[in-house]
Amino acid sequence: MTIDSAAMPGILAVGQSNAALATFILYTLGVFVIAALSNRLLQKKAFLSEYFLGSRGLGMWAFALTFAATSASGGSFTGFPAKIYTHGWVLALWIASYMVVPVCTMGLLGKRINQVARMSGAITVPDILRDRFESRFLGLMSTLLMVFFLVFNLVAQFKAGSLILETLLTGVEPFQTHAARVGDWVSNAAKTDGWTFLLDATGNPVDGGYLLCLMTFGIAVIFYTTYGGFHAVVWTDVMQGVVMVFGVAVMLPLALMQVGGLENATQELAQMVPPRPATICVDWGAQKTEDGVLPSGSWVQQPPATADGQPRLFRTTKSALYAAGTSQVCGVEALEILSDNEITRLTGPESPLTFLDAGVAEINEGDTYAYGSEEEHKGAYVTAPGPSRTDSTGFLPLGVAISFFFMWAISGSGQPQYMVRLMAFKDSQTLRRAIITVTMYFSIIYFPLVIIFVCARVLLPGMENEPDRIMPQMAVLLTENAGVGWLAGLLVAAPFAAVMSTVDSFLLVISSSVVRDIYQRNISPDASERTIKWMSYFCTLAVGLIALFGAISPPKFLQDIIVYVGSGLAACFLFPVVAALYWPRANKWTCIVGMLGGFGAHLAMHLIGMQVNGSFVNAYRLFGLDPVVVGLVASLLSVLIITPLTPKPPEHLVRKYFYRQPAQS
Amino acid sequence: MPVMNDQPDYDPVFLHCRREAIVIVGVWVAAMIWTLSSCAATGYADGQDVPTIFGMPSWVCWGIALPWLVADVVAIALCLFYIRDDDLGVAHEGADVAEDIRHRHEGEGDGNA
Repeated sequence: MTIDSAAMPGILAVGQSNAALATFILYTLGVFVIAALSNRLLQKKAFLSEYFLGSRGLGMWAFALTFAATSASGGSFTGFPAKIYTHGWVLALWIASYMVVPVCTMGLLGKRINQVARMSGAITVPDILRDRFESRFLGLMSTLLMVFFLVFNLVAQFKAGSLILETLLTGVEPFQTHAARVGDWVSNAAKTDGWTFLLDATGNPVDGGYLLCLMTFGIAVIFYTTYGGFHAVVWTDVMQGVVMVFGVAVMLPLALMQVGGLENATQELAQMVPPRPATICVDWGAQKTEDGVLPSGSWVQQPPATADGQPRLFRTTKSALYAAGTSQVCGVEALEILSDNEITRLTGPESPLTFLDAGVAEINEGDTYAYGSEEEHKGAYVTAPGPSRTDSTGFLPLGVAISFFFMWAISGSGQPQYMVRLMAFKDSQTLRRAIITVTMYFSIIYFPLVIIFVCARVLLPGMENEPDRIMPQMAVLLTENAGVGWLAGLLVAAPFAAVMSTVDSFLLVISSSVVRDIYQRNISPDASERTIKWMSYFCTLAVGLIALFGAISPPKFLQDIIVYVGSGLAACFLFPVVAALYWPRANKWTCIVGMLGGFGAHLAMHLIGMQVNGSFVNAYRLFGLDPVVVGLVASLLSVLIITPLTPKPPEHLVRKYFYRQPAQS
Repeated sequence: MPVMNDQPDYDPVFLHCRREAIVIVGVWVAAMIWTLSSCAATGYADGQDVPTIFGMPSWVCWGIALPWLVADVVAIALCLFYIRDDDLGVAHEGADVAEDIRHRHEGEGDGNA
């Protein structure tokens, strides 16, 4: 079998350097060293507080970077760049509320939640709620809600991490060999041994490369988190935070230089129209002598019909097999470039592309973008609401833009995984300095990412159908063009670092909930420290392995669930926690009804969406607003309405948490 | 015997936190109004001849980059000059679990009685 000469190279097989493998191995070794050092700390301090909260002693750098790295999930370096590439400058508006995210997510609750947690000795968010209202039911309910939401997210993050690793390693020879072996084993095990959990949602055996990456990534994260606990997570987050900012700092000047300046990139985008999907027949004009593969990412052109016309350009988006003795391969999925300026540039004498030595025999045009393809929307890449393939109102109508201001800044404050970090800093001076650090950190990450991937639209045309590859492909392109291809290995570690730091945090939040809130506080309060220690190791390991198992063949509707749970947590937790911390009149019913109100309204928007729009993920937008805003408003109203209707909280609790404590004699 | 004060003072840390939280919500509202009103007025428009500043569309510059810069300055100023350094107290590790154990033993005592 042959692979066509215009095959797209593996992202890190550049110059046969296997840079990805070297980077990954070094990175993993560093993480394991950190875990070992953290485990030594565990031997010296109160176990639970150290394992799940780092003994409340995080200093400025550790606190700032763990907060930032946890916040920057895999999406920041894969999904976000893909969105910028697909929708253009409007993503600056989509992410704009990150200008106040650090001060909101750390400043709104930080000092107070840290103080209240110290008062009661709480080490988890459900712990705080339970202690604040002396309500076992509230503690259990919040634990179950949190575990429900986070477990699904954990499965998705495992999947994301594995996909990123697989994307990076594609083309690296040792990986390809082992992936093929694993693939054969999976195929045999699934078909002959009856191991049906190795079949994906469509009934086919799971891809060997994906499974290999999942096991490597998953076991590494589970191991260092289980063994090292909170400090391992925090210190690896610090390392990952540095890797991320390094990636952006290197890519920004290279992108600007290679695109000919930001002005040039913006002017190119202003002339662009979105590409059109098509299926084509590729015709070599002569019979092939052996079976082969036409790889995804191949460029093919159809010459112009008239002398002054322009050729039609296509980029294949899926691989296609062809047999010996044929001269054509049909049904090839592709994207057709429709922008005149792009066609001129890509077919000109300075074109960076290599075209297949073949023509296009037949073209079946797909649908153009629902917004952005029409003449009146020309320039959609440099204006709001931005082009959209499916939505005729564009990518970011104003109502949705308003929702995103809530989504990042306000709902970010309501995520329990961030709240836990707020319980871990050493003192309020640390908090103040960390807010300044994260403010600057986010500013030098997110806005520059918009600029880098606006440039990517010009430098890497036709990649709309491969969003996961844009970040690593851009890293390779920029470093290769600058003659420093070896740097790509370090740059592509950024998305990998981001997803790793999110997974480890989720893992610890879930296991702490199980050990502390379910086992210790409800089943066995007087369990010995030794028992708690082994329970903690066991739970972290077990939760990790369950999520890993779930990620082998994630349910088809997983992505739908992720969209739902991502904002659902904030709708449940934000206002009940705010009331618990800041409102002396609040009682346990404030929190219970507030949580159920937020949960119910948010769920209702998705269920109505299922009826009206035919899809659970395509939620109903009441007044054009995202379900998270509706959920937050419902939760706030529930809190405000139910509180005056229910009894006042016990006097001793109000005195304990809101009044100056008498001096200890 | 110490005299119980029926009207004790609010904890100053609680009061500081609440006041600071209100100001932070104000910063968020101001950032939202500036960004969304500016972008709504100039960003949702025909883009073929969009004016640029420093290479970015002008609506991005005035509606996002500039407020982002101002928000950064305000956040840093808040941290340096407004948010107070408060004593957050000593962590009572295990206090809540000790309370659970006490309640459990009290329950057993009641049951036995």
